Amino acid sequence: MDIARLLVKRLVLMSTVVVIATFLLSLLMWMLPGDPAQLLVPNGTEIIQKVIRHETGLDRGIFGYYWHWLSHMLTGDFGKYYLNGGYREVTEVLKRCLPPSLFLILYAQIVALTLAIPLGLISAYKEGSRFDRIASTVLFTSVSVPGFALALILSLIFAVQLGWVDPIGYESPFGDPWAHFKLMILPVTSLAVGLTSSYTRLLRTDVIATLKEDYVTMAASKGISNRRVLWKHVFRPSSTTLLTSAALNMGGLIGGTIIVETIFVIPGIGYEIAYSIGSRQVVAMQTLIALVSFAYVFFNTTVDLLTNITDPRTRERRV
Amino acid sequence: MSETSQLSTTDVIDTPVKVRRKRKRPLGFYFAATWIALIIFLAVFGWILPAPSWDTSFYDSLGVHPFHHSHILGTTLDGYDMFAGLVNGARLSVFVSLVSVTIGGAIGTFIGVTSAYFRGKIDMIVTMAFNVMLSIPNLVLSLALLSVLAYSDENHPATMSRRVGVLMLSLTIVIIPILGRIARGATLQWSSREFVLASKSMGTKNFTIIRKHILPNVAPAILAIGFLAIGSVIIVEGSLAILGIGVPGGASWGSMLANGRGNIAYSPWEVYLPAGAIALTVISCNWFGDYVRTSLDKRESKI
Repeated sequence: MDIARLLVKRLVLMSTVVVIATFLLSLLMWMLPGDPAQLLVPNGTEIIQKVIRHETGLDRGIFGYYWHWLSHMLTGDFGKYYLNGGYREVTEVLKRCLPPSLFLILYAQIVALTLAIPLGLISAYKEGSRFDRIASTVLFTSVSVPGFALALILSLIFAVQLGWVDPIGYESPFGDPWAHFKLMILPVTSLAVGLTSSYTRLLRTDVIATLKEDYVTMAASKGISNRRVLWKHVFRPSSTTLLTSAALNMGGLIGGTIIVETIFVIPGIGYEIAYSIGSRQVVAMQTLIALVSFAYVFFNTTVDLLTNITDPRTRERRV
Repeated sequence: MSETSQLSTTDVIDTPVKVRRKRKRPLGFYFAATWIALIIFLAVFGWILPAPSWDTSFYDSLGVHPFHHSHILGTTLDGYDMFAGLVNGARLSVFVSLVSVTIGGAIGTFIGVTSAYFRGKIDMIVTMAFNVMLSIPNLVLSLALLSVLAYSDENHPATMSRRVGVLMLSLTIVIIPILGRIARGATLQWSSREFVLASKSMGTKNFTIIRKHILPNVAPAILAIGFLAIGSVIIVEGSLAILGIGVPGGASWGSMLANGRGNIAYSPWEVYLPAGAIALTVISCNWFGDYVRTSLDKRESKI
């Protein structure tokens, strides 16, 4: 009963946020100086523009347009790109551009977590030691390096000067896995560095708190090896914040890959967003941004709900 | 036995002295402060320095290496002086980030503090508005805002000052919910304290309470996040420039980077100098913000 009410409340809140955000986006499109239909097909004749205006609902005012867009979105019609005389379905584009982005995000998360977990555990275990201090400083510095600066410098060193990997491009993992991984190394590294530092810092704080618990002293006093205590008794209870934040990042990263995808010319969703904004494909742009913000809100709500259900303590804390 | 007692006495005597002496600032703080001071100095007094003008091309020295006798940091492949470009970029980056964070922070703080203080319906609406704005990644949001606000057709390209103005406006809009949420959270914490309640019961006006009791306590937290915000504004500015929307023509660090990207194989310093400048500035801002935050925590724990 309680959980059901919570669920309904969260879902209502979530859909309200998405509806308002997407409406503001259409309002933004509406404020573009000039006629949107003219922006979509700058060289189209009057008749083509009229057809497009009707097809996208642009001739029905801002609310009519928004309703037209939203209802089509809900039935799975994501709108079109209008290109020199022809058009492309956004759904088709999405099918093509989603996998590269998802691979990129997935790899970055895996790399960041595999590095952050041992780093966080060790630096918490040896709190205040030289290792901890050096690791903290290095990580704090690397989290502040902007992703694009890192990406450019990495591609300058490893692709241009050393020539170990190709500087740009994307290859499907099912066609040529070797080329796929080779091309992914630099983009994944430039995404993962920032993630690793923030994950390590989160885990370190939690592990330090857990190490002070009585049951850890108890386990250690029973003669269980340090490694086993760390993994079995300390890591599990202190990993919730880390996992929450990793899940939250899934939503945020979809939008965050724009710059990395642009620099390494990976045809992902971020690249498509930048392209649709640059070529003023207002309908496609609205759809893509709406999907990203939906993903963000969706992950946020889901994680919030899951922690609420699995850990009743958070419910009290929030009040 | 005697040894242990000796140890304990020296411990007792030594610790307070040591603690007092150990309160020196970390090395990173000095580094960050020096770099920020240098950047601000260059931004304000850069025009005094004997550097060539940043937007003239030297056709006799295209793509000169750094540490060349005529151009300290070299030139781009198009013959623009790197040092002059960096100094000019410092001015623009500092100006844009300071203005947008200050204005955005002021508006965000005002909205956050008032909504958290008065609660009720206003607070609900404000929280919802912040959530809506935060649900769109900030780079995407500023990209969309910029493309709408800085729209220009080919016949009437937007002027430089208009582009900078629009850039600052969209960055300000992005900053408002970020700092607003911090201000709201901090105010919620402070407005339930006893001294606020006491002041209320004495009949003090609401805005006097906010001005005298809430703002001074909320301000340090906002200041700390404000430094981080300056860093992220510089990052967003650079990202926008790389995406081709932003300040054109190498007038900002990001724009220099965007221009230099194409020549990366011939004159790599066109990339690593502005990238390094951006990275160092962001690192310094974060270090500074972190220092402010930790010294704040100490003050908190003393109470």
